[in-house]
This record gives sequence, structure tokens and C-alpha cells, in this order.
Amino acid sequence: MSSPSLATSLRLAASGGRSDHVRIGITAAGAFMTTLLFFLAASVGLIGPTDGPYRFEVLNQPGLRPGVIISLLLLTVPTLIFVGQCSRFGAPARDRRLARLRMAGARPRDVVRIVALETGLAAFGGSIVAAVAYFVGRRWFATEHIATITTETEIGSRGILLEEVNATVRYAPTDVLFPAWIVVALVAVVPVLATGFSVLALRRVVLSPFGVNRSTPSTPPRLLPVVLFGAGTAALMSFSAVVRLLDLDRRAFPLVALTGFIFFVMIATGLIIGGASIAAATGRFIAPRTDRPSILLAARRLIAAPYTSTRATTSILLAVFIGSAVQAVRASFLAGTDPEDTFYATTFSLLNLVLVAAIVLSCASLAITTTEAVVERRRTLAALKAAGTPRRTLAASLFAETLVPLVPSVVLAASAGLLSARGVFGSRVSSWSDERGEVILVDVPLPVATPALLGVCAIAVSVLATAASLVPLRRSFDHAELRTAA
Amino acid sequence: MNQAPSPNLADPAPSPHDALQTQDGRASAPLLTVRSAVYSYGSELALQGANLQLAPGEILAVTGPSGSGKSTLMLVAAGVLAPTAGQVIFNGRVISDDSEGERSRLRRTEFGVLFQFGQLVPELTAGENVALPLLLDGAKRQQARAAAGLWLERFGVADLIDVRPPDMSGGQSQRVAAARAMVTEPSVLFADEPTGALDTMSGEAVMREIVRVAREAGTGVMLITHDAKVAAYGDREVLVRDGTTNELSINLRNGDDR
Ligand SMILES: Nc1ncnc2c1ncn2[C@@H]1O[C@H](COP(=O)(O)OP(=O)(O)O)[C@@H](O)[C@H]1O
Ligand SMILES: [Mg+2]
Repeated sequence: MSSPSLATSLRLAASGGRSDHVRIGITAAGAFMTTLLFFLAASVGLIGPTDGPYRFEVLNQPGLRPGVIISLLLLTVPTLIFVGQCSRFGAPARDRRLARLRMAGARPRDVVRIVALETGLAAFGGSIVAAVAYFVGRRWFATEHIATITTETEIGSRGILLEEVNATVRYAPTDVLFPAWIVVALVAVVPVLATGFSVLALRRVVLSPFGVNRSTPSTPPRLLPVVLFGAGTAALMSFSAVVRLLDLDRRAFPLVALTGFIFFVMIATGLIIGGASIAAATGRFIAPRTDRPSILLAARRLIAAPYTSTRATTSILLAVFIGSAVQAVRASFLAGTDPEDTFYATTFSLLNLVLVAAIVLSCASLAITTTEAVVERRRTLAALKAAGTPRRTLAASLFAETLVPLVPSVVLAASAGLLSARGVFGSRVSSWSDERGEVILVDVPLPVATPALLGVCAIAVSVLATAASLVPLRRSFDHAELRTAA
Repeated sequence: MNQAPSPNLADPAPSPHDALQTQDGRASAPLLTVRSAVYSYGSELALQGANLQLAPGEILAVTGPSGSGKSTLMLVAAGVLAPTAGQVIFNGRVISDDSEGERSRLRRTEFGVLFQFGQLVPELTAGENVALPLLLDGAKRQQARAAAGLWLERFGVADLIDVRPPDMSGGQSQRVAAARAMVTEPSVLFADEPTGALDTMSGEAVMREIVRVAREAGTGVMLITHDAKVAAYGDREVLVRDGTTNELSINLRNGDDR
């Protein structure tokens, strides 16, 4: 049999039902968000010496721009995870459809091609719209106006002259030039990543002509995440003390920074893998002990599918971890600077805003996954409902399924972020704001309130996302589910 | 069948005409009555004035071609769907006007439901699946598990108590599902093609168990099927055609209790 034509593959990719259309729509939306963020980050990166000046100091000083770019790129982590989640939305039904295609004679690679086309084109559509939106938006925001800004002029070889001047400024780098290849690359990134992911995800699923076999992930490892998380946290907590003890050369700084970063990644990885382990462990603890049906249902789900319930909270956990670390860094910077100087305070406030945005974006993934869990189990849920199980019991079990593993994970993520950043940046910093102009050492307060707030915010937004995904729970009690074939 | 009163009539009490002749000739008040039930899915009229009566402990077979409205009739009778018009009366009380919450409680305590497949929670063990309705009513874990064990034993699957549904055969799943439907000792069991997904042999075996246990427990059964052999288990048979019901025959059962 020859390969079906592109047109045929396309038609097959688009021939699904409602949930297939939803999947295509949200994949495109996720690609839109991500690509737009890429364009914004790129526009900051492309600011040249002749561009500007801008309203915001962080854009005018070349040394601060990487921070802006990294913040924007950090935001693409949850949106990229979202795109990944989307490509699996309603996928079990699609996979069954594809299995029937196999029955009708399609080869495995034809099926892969259909899936790749679907995800790739959906993401490509979103990316194209994002590019258009960016360039239209640029014209929209391109207005110039007069504002007071600080300029820097180098005088001699050592000094910098800071001047407050009135200048014509722009709000955003709407004047930078984009080389064509960058535009092409930015539009291509998300579709390529999304296609790759959906094809990889399909490898988990064996589509035989006789149906769908999903190779279920084994029980999550218990030791590995504990070791990664524990060792990483311990190493970073003692980081500055050890570095001081070693009395290293200044030239060793990149190596020291790299080591610190590796420990940081270790903790994050431990958190991600550990999420599933925590879910399975709490499930195993609760299931044989509870009298409450909702908790029993949730606990058994956590044991049977620990990855399903924690996959979606991964980016929330990362945001909390990084966010708490940022709070410790912030405390250390603020302790060392003149309270009159609001620059760091403002910059860190902006960063906190970015973190909140990241958490909110992460919750989109969570809502998708919970909705998917409801849709996938609609027959079971409808049967439970018909047998008189109150809807509130089922809703409570879905809440418990998300929150039971999330709460301990958030506590761990927040503590690890806080303590490790404090370990790196130290609990005492030098300050030059002494009355006599002498450098003194000041204690850095342990910021408890902001990380706690961040954790509570993450959990609250997760509750909202879960609640939103319960809406189709009503629909899924559709009696249609209960009709039998005859 | 009696001429059913118009569903809009304000008198909800079952009329004396609703009395049933049971096999031994005594009249008994029906446990469950469906009167002139109409149900439409949007513009699709699935029931157009269906009538049904079930005496306590009676096994009523409901037959009819595919798409005739059998499943809809059952869902209406069990209070899962509220009829567009008409009434459902249980134990002398009109339940079709109750709120979803009240009907849900009734289904939990007085009714048991059994579908063709897919009603067990795949993550729960057989024991937990069967114990679930008791836990919902506030039973303690140990107590509920003991009761679940007992009902699994009645259906001959006591050894499956710690097995999860994906590891069971179709026949085993349906026995566990039947145990779950019966664990609250309901007065009516609603069964929609309970053996429809099983092969003939195990289907018959499961059907015999369900009928035997229901008779032992004195539970009335509304048994939906399109299989004449299965319908023969009933005391009476009602035929559904294009959304309306016809009494088919009074089964002349010769006193054997299978
Ligand atoms: N959820 C639904 N939406 C629309 N039409 C439905 C739905 N369920 C059943 N129907 C229609 O109602 C009629 C009766 O269906 P059903 O009660 O399932 O019949 P049976 O169980 O006898 O096969 C059929 O014509 C069917 O197409
Ligand atoms: Mg049916």
C-alpha cells in the first residue's frame, strides 16, 4: 500500500469529534502564547546600541536585559508544558480511531504522520498568529513620549556618570529590527517541539489493528528523588560556607556557578520525579485507612496512576521552587542596599509578578489534565452517579486527587527553594549604607511570608483550576454514557 | 393494562386499579409504577407514554428491539432521568418530581443498578467497589468490607475481594457489579442487559446467579434484555416498541423457584 497523500492525512487528522477540535484549538492557543513570549524575549535580546531609550530602566541597561530575557523565557516553561499536555487531550479516543485506521490497512508510520500533522499544524497556526500579533502590536505600542530617565555615560576608564534627563522614550523595544531568519526560527520552534513531543508520546501507545495498548509507566522510583532532592538541597544550603572555606580564586567563579546550577537542577529533578512518588506514597498510606468514599477513590487513583495527577502540577512546583529561591535572593539584595534605592525592590516586584503569571499559566495545564481525567472516566463516573453517588463525593475525590499530593510537594518545593538560595547567597551580607560610610555586615532576614504566600497562591489557583475542570463533570453524567449497545 | 390517567392530573396517589395480580392470585400494591412516561432527548422522542408496574419481589422482563426505548424507560424508572411528562411512583410516593439529590439518595438506598459493562471503578479492588455504597451511607470500613465479602460470596466470587477489575474476566466483573448493586439490599434491582457483553455460557451462569440471589433477598428486578432466553427468567414480560409499552404475557411459571 502506498502512503496516503498529504491531503488524505490531513483529512484524517481533522476527522475527529469535539474533543479533537478542542485539542487542536488549545494546542494552537498554547503555541500562540509561547511564540509571543519568544518574540518578546527576542525583541529585548535584539536591542542594539542605536535603539531606545525606553521607559523602563531594565531595558536601557544592557547588563539588566539578560534578566528580562530569562524571566520571559521562564514564562515559556509553563506554556510549553501546556502545549505538551494539550497534545494528549482527548488522545485516548483519537488513539482508538487511529487503531481502527490500522485495522483498515494504515501502517504505523501513516498513523504517526497523521498525529504529527495534526499537532504540528495546530501549533504552526498558533505560532503564525502570534508572529502577526507581535508585529501588529509593535505598531500599536510604537508611540513615543517624553519621560525622565537615567542615562549612563562612561567617563574615563573607571567611572560612570549617571544623569537624569528628559528624553523621548518608547514603552517597549518596538524599534528593534528582526532579521528574517530569526522570525522564521521563532515561528518554527514551538511547532517542531510540539510535533516531536506528540510523536514521542505516541510511542508509549501501541496502536495495533486490534486496539490500543498503553504501556503504563511503572511505579515511580522512591529512592532516586529523595537522593537528588536531599543531596541537592544539602549541598546548596552549605554552599557559601563551603566556597568560603575553599577560599577559591576569582577565576574559579564560573565553575562555582556551574556547580551551584547543577545542584539546583538536581533539586528540581528530584521534585518532579518525587511528585509522583509522593502521590503514590500518600495514596498507599491513605487507601487502607479511610472510611470516606471520596478519599478512597482519590487514594486508589493516586496509586494506580501517580503520574497522571502530578504531571500537571510539575510546572506549578517549579514555579514555587524558583519563586521561593527568588524571595531569598531578594531578601539578601534588599538587606545589602540603601532602602532609598528602589531599583532592586521594583525589579524584584516585577519578577514576583512574572512568577505569579507562571503559576497562573501552569494552572491552565492542570485544568486540561483534570478535565481529561474526567472525560476519560466518564462512563465509570456516570455509572457511579446512576448508582446514587452524590456529585459532591465525586467532585471531592477529584479535588483530593490533585491536592493530596500537591500540598506536601509545594511545602517541600518552597522550603528547598528558600533554604538553598539562602545557602548560596548567605545569611549575612555586607552593606554600604552605614551612617559613617563603613562597610558593615548585616543579617539577612529569613523571608517566610512571601514564599508562604506563593505556596498558598499556587494551591489556591490549583483549586480554582480543578473547580473549572469539574464543569464537564455535569455533562459527563450524560445518560448517553449509560446506554448499552443494544 | 389500565388506562393511565393523564400525567397532568394533580392526583399523585396510585389508584386502586394499579394493583397487580401476582402469580398466586393475591392482589398486592405495586412497589414501582411508571405512568404515561414521556421522555425526549432534545427533539428525539424516546418514550411516548410508557407504563410499567413492578410488584415487590417480582422479576419483570422488559424486551423490545434495539432503539425502542428500553434503556430510557429503565433510567426513568430508576430516577436517573426525570420524565418530560408522566410519573414514577415508588412505594406510593411520586418520585419523579423529587430533586436530583433526593432521587440520588433513593437510588443509593432503595435501588440497585446494573449495566452491561464499565460500572466498576477500575482502580478500586472488588471488595472496595462493593463496599462503596455502604461507605457512602456512612458505614465504617471494616463493617463495609465484611458485608462486601458476604455479597461477593453469594455471587461466588469471594476470592476476588482484593482483585482489581482490569484483572477480572467479563463474567467475574458482572458478578462483582451485581454484588455491588445488591449490597445495600435494595427493594428493586434495575439491570440493563447485564449479560449482554458476555458469551452465552458465562452469560447464562451470571443470569442464574442474579435471579437466584434476587429471589433469596426478595428483591424486585426490572430486567432489560433483547434475548428471549434471558427474558424467560422473568415472571412477566413487557414489550417496548417505539417508546410505548405492551404487556406481552403472564408467564405461567409452575412454582419452581429456579
Ligand atoms: N443521549 C441520547 N441522545 C439522543 N438520543 C438518544 C439518547 N439516548 C437514546 N436516544 C434515542 O432514544 C431512543 C431510545 O433509546 P434507548 O432507550 O437506548 O433504546 P434501547 O435501550 O431500547 O436500545 C433511540 O432512538 C435512541 O437513538
Ligand atoms: Mg439499551
